[in-house]
Amino acid sequence: MKQVFAALLSGLAFALMVPGVALAQDGPLRIEITEGVIEPLPYAVPDFVAESAGAQQLAQQIARVVADDLTGTGLFREVPREAHISQITSFGSPVQFADWKAINAQALVTGAVSEEGGRVVVKFRVWDVFAGTELGQGMQFAGTPEGWRRMAHKVADQVYSRITGESGYFDSRVVFVSESGPKDQRAKRLAVMDYDGANVQYLTGSNALVLAPRFSEDGQRVLYTSYETGMPRVHVLEVGTVQSRILQGQDGVMSFAPRFAPNGQTVVYSLTQGSNTDIWAMDIASGGTRQLTSAPSIETAPSYSPDGSQIVFESDRSGTQQLYVMSASGGEARRISFGQGRYSTPVWSPRGDMIAFTKQNAGRFHIGVMRTDGSEERLLTASFLDEGPTWAPNGRVIMFARETQGAQGSSSLYTVDISGRNLKRVRTPEGASDPSWGPLQ
Amino acid sequence: MHTGHYISGAAHGLLILWALFGGMFRGDPPEMEVADVSVISEAQFAAMMQPQLAPPTVDEPAALPQPEPETALPDTPVEDTQPVTQPEPAEPEVVEPDPVPEPVLPEPEPQVADDLPQPPTPEAVPDVQAPDVALRPTPRPAPRVAPEAVPEPAPEADVAPEVQDTVEQSDTAEPSEAEEQQATAPEAATTEIVTEAEEPARAPTASVRPQVRPNRPPQTQTQTAAAPAAPPEPEPEADAAAADATAAAIAGALEEALSGATTGSAEGPPLTQGERDGFRIAVQDCWVVDVGSQAANVTVTVGFDMDRDGRVVGSSLRMLAAEGGSGTAVETAFQAARRAILRCQGDGYSLPVEKYDQWRNVEMTFNPESMRVR
Repeated sequence: MKQVFAALLSGLAFALMVPGVALAQDGPLRIEITEGVIEPLPYAVPDFVAESAGAQQLAQQIARVVADDLTGTGLFREVPREAHISQITSFGSPVQFADWKAINAQALVTGAVSEEGGRVVVKFRVWDVFAGTELGQGMQFAGTPEGWRRMAHKVADQVYSRITGESGYFDSRVVFVSESGPKDQRAKRLAVMDYDGANVQYLTGSNALVLAPRFSEDGQRVLYTSYETGMPRVHVLEVGTVQSRILQGQDGVMSFAPRFAPNGQTVVYSLTQGSNTDIWAMDIASGGTRQLTSAPSIETAPSYSPDGSQIVFESDRSGTQQLYVMSASGGEARRISFGQGRYSTPVWSPRGDMIAFTKQNAGRFHIGVMRTDGSEERLLTASFLDEGPTWAPNGRVIMFARETQGAQGSSSLYTVDISGRNLKRVRTPEGASDPSWGPLQ
Repeated sequence: MHTGHYISGAAHGLLILWALFGGMFRGDPPEMEVADVSVISEAQFAAMMQPQLAPPTVDEPAALPQPEPETALPDTPVEDTQPVTQPEPAEPEVVEPDPVPEPVLPEPEPQVADDLPQPPTPEAVPDVQAPDVALRPTPRPAPRVAPEAVPEPAPEADVAPEVQDTVEQSDTAEPSEAEEQQATAPEAATTEIVTEAEEPARAPTASVRPQVRPNRPPQTQTQTAAAPAAPPEPEPEADAAAADATAAAIAGALEEALSGATTGSAEGPPLTQGERDGFRIAVQDCWVVDVGSQAANVTVTVGFDMDRDGRVVGSSLRMLAAEGGSGTAVETAFQAARRAILRCQGDGYSLPVEKYDQWRNVEMTFNPESMRVR
């Protein structure tokens, strides 16, 4: 009887606890969000404050270049200045966050420019509007008035880095082949420009055909292929002095498709002997060469991984052009591309996680990316002719050449985000092809 | 002797008689077939078998796989792996001299400011309830690039954080008390990426099925505890000590059940699924994911407190956990989550005040896995 009584009471106690369990919530409210939006982040860049008499125009120009850099990424959207409620009249005055919050600016860039004695000083701050705090600390750059664009790019790099957490790519240069004249008589010469197409400077004349320039890791040298001697030969050019020399001078042998190793001391290139093309490596200091592939097929377009341990290249050993990865010291290669069509011009990402390539399939050309093992292939573009991808220093953007169809077709440079968004043309004074993106300066 | 034995004996006897006299063990032996054979050598055997080893012939050979049709390729300036004829010397440019400018660009001297003055903390300004100036419409970034720019469409609504209808003063109608305002709407955004190389879907691949009506949530038995059964009277011979122990256990259970706060659990009815979804959607509309960044690999959990008006206590925002990515990517992911929570709260999230205890403390997990670029 005693047990029966205890069981009844226990049941009663359990019944009393049930409503409590139903009413109570164990801990805080937990919500999981798996869908967001893909849109540019709104920000505001009011004109920088001119802190000296002659710096008014410079202050406006620098602010515009900063805004163009950020907006050009496709990751940011500038809130028009006409919508600004607050005006920044002093670099040190407090920021009225409510005014910027009201126009939905999530980030705010304020700055000031002063010029004195041929020396320009640019200082800036980045603000998180909704948090009401500063992102990082204020910085300043100093330089000559002629270098104001570089200082603006440096400011934009800092803003980009503080908001995205990744390094920028605005203060970088691109070496490319500038093209002029009709398609059948096109003159080509090497040129270098800012990443956005500004400040174009020519490195070679147009008396010899030049192809495939490639920046070194430090941006001080450029490898390229020239027909100056009648045969394609690899040249190396010192950007500082604009002096070039033939790197591989063996008579009767064609060498092309050069690219620096990450250490800058080794060059890998293709060499044709008879009807066979293989990949070779050369030590620049000693001139010693080493053959990396020995297949009876055509191996070309080698590109090092960022750590210098592997090389990706294209080969037709399987019957069609496909991509292969091998050790930097040569040896057996592993095929990584298995899709339909032909793959060419692979380039390893500076991040090391992806490989960009040109793909030809069904009469169309594509720029695409894949993992280094060949998985997760994605095509980013499609046109009559897209080719020659090159990575931005932060591995976020790809620049390539696009040629239009027809006898009057011309080649231009384009950039595209690795997500496939924000495809846009880079303005150059003439036609352009074969871009190679240099490092962040 | 059973009858069965007689029957069995008779049956066996009949079977033996049939086997002996029925002709079962008689009969003519079958005739043997005799064939002539001849001895041949191994070479002769191989010669005889040779025609059988040949592959069977077919009337028509199978069609060979055709190679991939070569499309007319344009003249490409890529490295040609075939022998290349010597290019014709280019005509020297007469008008345009070979410009070889100074390649050395001016090097600014970047330096970190040592003594940039820290700006004073701005005065507390009450939050603006509605923007005074609606933004001018800006073209939405096109996912595809057209060869020619198209004219900008006429704006239908300005960009503003919140949706509001157009209010105009009419000449004929009675003057409205509402202040004249312009229609605004949040800027459109997308949750998926279509690259130039992909064809957008032009038709649904499957028909949409009507959604199943959600099941009603089970009704809570809130009255169970209201009328507890009367305890039976204890028997006189019951052990007093055992009865005290049982009574103490029951009292403890009752106290625990009736005071949920002592365990840290929130009181009151839980949020309905609709209320939770509304909260989730309100935040996710402001969660901007940079799908190509390293931060897109990070799942971050953010904890924060809220006041009764549904506003986030800004100082309570903190990162509770993060998974995937480097330290910088984690920090960027946290900042994006924090901005989403703060930006979309407006005048406060729409949550039932009577259930405040349920959403006083929130843990929100931002998982971008389904949006990541693959």
